[in-house]
Amino acid sequence: MAAALCAAQDPDLAAVLASERRRTAVIERCAAAVCSVMAMDSPGGGSGVVFDPAGFVLTNFHVVGKADDDYHLPDAPEPPAADLAKWRTEHPDADAAAVAEFTKAWKDSWCDENWPSGTDLYKPKKVGMPDGKLYEGIVLGIDPGSDLAVLRLVPKAPGQTWPYCDFGDSDALLAGETVFAMGNPFLLATDFTPTVTFGIVSGTHRYQEGSGQRMLVYPDCIQVDAPVNPGNSGGPLFNEAGQVVGINGRISIGDRGRVNVGVGFAIASNQIKNFLGDLMAGRHAEHGTLDMSAWFMNSGTGDERRRGVYVQQMFRDAIVADAGVSIGDEITWFNGSDVRSANQLATLIGVLPAFTWVSLGYRPAQGENAFGDERRVTLRMAYLDTGSSKDGHGADARMASRSDRRLAARAIMARWQFGADEPSGRTFTLAAAGGGDGSDGYTARSDGTRLQLQLGERTLVQAGASESFAREGGQIRSLAVEERARLDRELRSNPFLWNGRTIGERLRDALLRGGVHVHGIAGYRFALPGDGDCEAWLTLDGRPLGCAFRDPIGRKRVEYHIHPAQFYFVADGELQPGWSVATATVEHDESWFARKP
Amino acid sequence: MKTILIAVAAVTAGIATIPAQTEDFGAAYSFDERKPQTPVERVIAKVQPSLVKVHGASGIRGITSYATGIIVSKQGHILTLDQILIQQDRTRVVLYDGSVHRAKVLPEDPGLGVRLLKIDPTLVNGELQALWPPDEEGARYRTGQFVVSVGNCFRLAEFSEKLSATFGVVVGKADTALRYRLQDVKYDGELILTDACNNPGHYGGALFTLDGRWLGINARLLDSKETNTMLSAVIPVRDVLPYLEDHILGKRRVEEVVEKVPAWTGMVLFDKAGRRSPPAYVDRVVRGSPAEQLGLRPDDLVVRIDDYSIRSCKEYREVLEKYAAGDSVQLTWKRGTTIKNGELKLARDPKAEEAKK
Repeated sequence: MAAALCAAQDPDLAAVLASERRRTAVIERCAAAVCSVMAMDSPGGGSGVVFDPAGFVLTNFHVVGKADDDYHLPDAPEPPAADLAKWRTEHPDADAAAVAEFTKAWKDSWCDENWPSGTDLYKPKKVGMPDGKLYEGIVLGIDPGSDLAVLRLVPKAPGQTWPYCDFGDSDALLAGETVFAMGNPFLLATDFTPTVTFGIVSGTHRYQEGSGQRMLVYPDCIQVDAPVNPGNSGGPLFNEAGQVVGINGRISIGDRGRVNVGVGFAIASNQIKNFLGDLMAGRHAEHGTLDMSAWFMNSGTGDERRRGVYVQQMFRDAIVADAGVSIGDEITWFNGSDVRSANQLATLIGVLPAFTWVSLGYRPAQGENAFGDERRVTLRMAYLDTGSSKDGHGADARMASRSDRRLAARAIMARWQFGADEPSGRTFTLAAAGGGDGSDGYTARSDGTRLQLQLGERTLVQAGASESFAREGGQIRSLAVEERARLDRELRSNPFLWNGRTIGERLRDALLRGGVHVHGIAGYRFALPGDGDCEAWLTLDGRPLGCAFRDPIGRKRVEYHIHPAQFYFVADGELQPGWSVATATVEHDESWFARKP
Repeated sequence: MKTILIAVAAVTAGIATIPAQTEDFGAAYSFDERKPQTPVERVIAKVQPSLVKVHGASGIRGITSYATGIIVSKQGHILTLDQILIQQDRTRVVLYDGSVHRAKVLPEDPGLGVRLLKIDPTLVNGELQALWPPDEEGARYRTGQFVVSVGNCFRLAEFSEKLSATFGVVVGKADTALRYRLQDVKYDGELILTDACNNPGHYGGALFTLDGRWLGINARLLDSKETNTMLSAVIPVRDVLPYLEDHILGKRRVEEVVEKVPAWTGMVLFDKAGRRSPPAYVDRVVRGSPAEQLGLRPDDLVVRIDDYSIRSCKEYREVLEKYAAGDSVQLTWKRGTTIKNGELKLARDPKAEEAKK
């Protein structure tokens, strides 16, 4: 009351109070999503933040720690009595052996659904929310390479949701911008109410080396002067709008031991987004590498001054060596950015997941202090072995259980908005540009449920569940097996053929398989039920990004990486140059699916 | 660069044609920054080109080998703190654009603990963006005022990477006369104290107000082992002005040369040689000396001269050097369990006078 009175008399004070109200409101909203993460049976812990209302929590890898070697997956429960009784009525003459077989099959399918794969197993964690309640947290994905982990809260009642915070754009941060950190420093809060500390961004795009075998690298972090202390690890860094722009993970320390000296580092949210798909799918997120080390050199004087980033070490079989780069070459360009320092190159590479397609520019060394013209190559990054996991690097080594991945897929979709009003027709044309022979080019036209595929002289149509045909040389015929499969797989996996009315249905039974990265755009990979190894790729906000499936006609696995300015057509892991894609949103035409042209 | 687009019959709007994979297209990941908007962001962005990274010889015994410097002239003068291991021929300066320059080391100012470096301006791309101490009005600061401190703490920024910035308020000012550990501070004047974080490497950086006025140069942390506290101290830039004018503008100030006569108290302390200087116990008092007139006796312990705490014979001597014969000081001493104090009139040492004759 007194404050309001003063404010009325003093416009400056009114402005200060208004800004204070805005700030406290943002803090109040954010605080509800900040949690404490602790092990079940040992002291210590860190912080985390809920980023999805279905209870997905982001924290640091060093908070969840390495896998629990002594942990075993729980045994499958006995089949429910109702299921057993139903089976008995269906099989009235079943003997004991048949019952045992049914029980085993039921248990196997239970394990298949509820057990994660991989060898790094974690005991559930304790997660304390600011509502004062403790939840069980299932460790899903881990990223030891850059210190991240995702947990899923186990609801206390079906359908429970949690307060959550959205991610912000960490690349929009500027030195001097106000930020606040939240978490549970020194585990002070026994009721899990987070501590709030306030500061500014001191620096952006900082590269901080890791420890051990390339673990816990912070390739692109935000430096802040907001006090960050032990226990803050895994907690969020917010911008003024209350969006998560980073995860606080480490601090530089001075002479006074392991406490804040005003230099904290947060993992940038845009880097986190690149790994979010892998983390939510329960994977061991892999970082990309070019298999080489390059150092900044600044030597010589006057006209002979050499300043740049030069390749210092690489393996004989390194991917960059295959691309033509040798020791001593100058690295000039990476993915559209001029390379100015070794730190910057490490930042550019460090934020990318393994197996991402990248472009590299270099000038080959030609004798002493001479370099050729810049060459540019496109290559697929290898994975960086952090030595932190027993899990192999196979496609499905570490993975959350099917039920967790189904839940993740539904949680992701639940937050997307689909425009149901726009034209429902979609066309998708893959064409050879110049050099290609055009044998794989085609045009697909769909209204979201039906599909017409024009493959050279052939036109394949799937006009309904039972209505399909091929038209070739003016003749109508029924589809060959592989043609039918091709239509089915194209429509199931290619999100560019879906529309707002059908996308929900298309993804209804999908499982989250991991993340994908198409030239700076992060996305999710959804595995679709059915044969053909079909994957649909969508961006974090639900726009189509590409797809992958086994093409039964061309007999290869095709991948379309579709960036608005760039298209990668990959067949059986090899980049196919000279292809382009055109997509269009149009009013659909009934003649697409008609037997008569 | 070959980029071929294929044509699609335009049916309605919403067509996107994505070109084939090429090696020349937009950045996947951009370092481009948005424009600064708030006063803090604006100050930090504005001053970055005027600050440099300073690398000295490799550090030994906990003396960091890196610091920050401030460009103070277009001719290549750079002001830094004289507390890193700076050696002629081994000192390098990294400018905002990432270029590395050898720096010549100019004489330091022993009173301030600052030093000028000089780089060759003809080797610099473009013009150096120099700062200069503001006028007296502009250099004024008040407790509670918001400040931004910019420097290269922990050498986090390399080459063209931007220096770190921290934010805080002026928490007060300190007269170094009150300092507890005399050996730590060379500077003998008023220091600005701030809670804007200051760490190794940040030293030699600059402190600014939110409207971009340059207030001071980051000094080393002042610390107290007794209370386990540390304070960020900043040397006011106005105090550095005479040194800058002397070395950059060649404006040598004519100082009045006054012959200083050493002060004499007539107390002889019990000062045995050793690694640690012992407490300032009086061994004997010269007859007829100022100390005797004030009533000092052997075994008295001198604990304070004016505002200076005296904890050892060494500190007693150092403090006394600040005074001259003819000055008066408030002396506090301890006798047994009682504290006494009184005004001590400093005199000329009769023996020294005789020797002179």
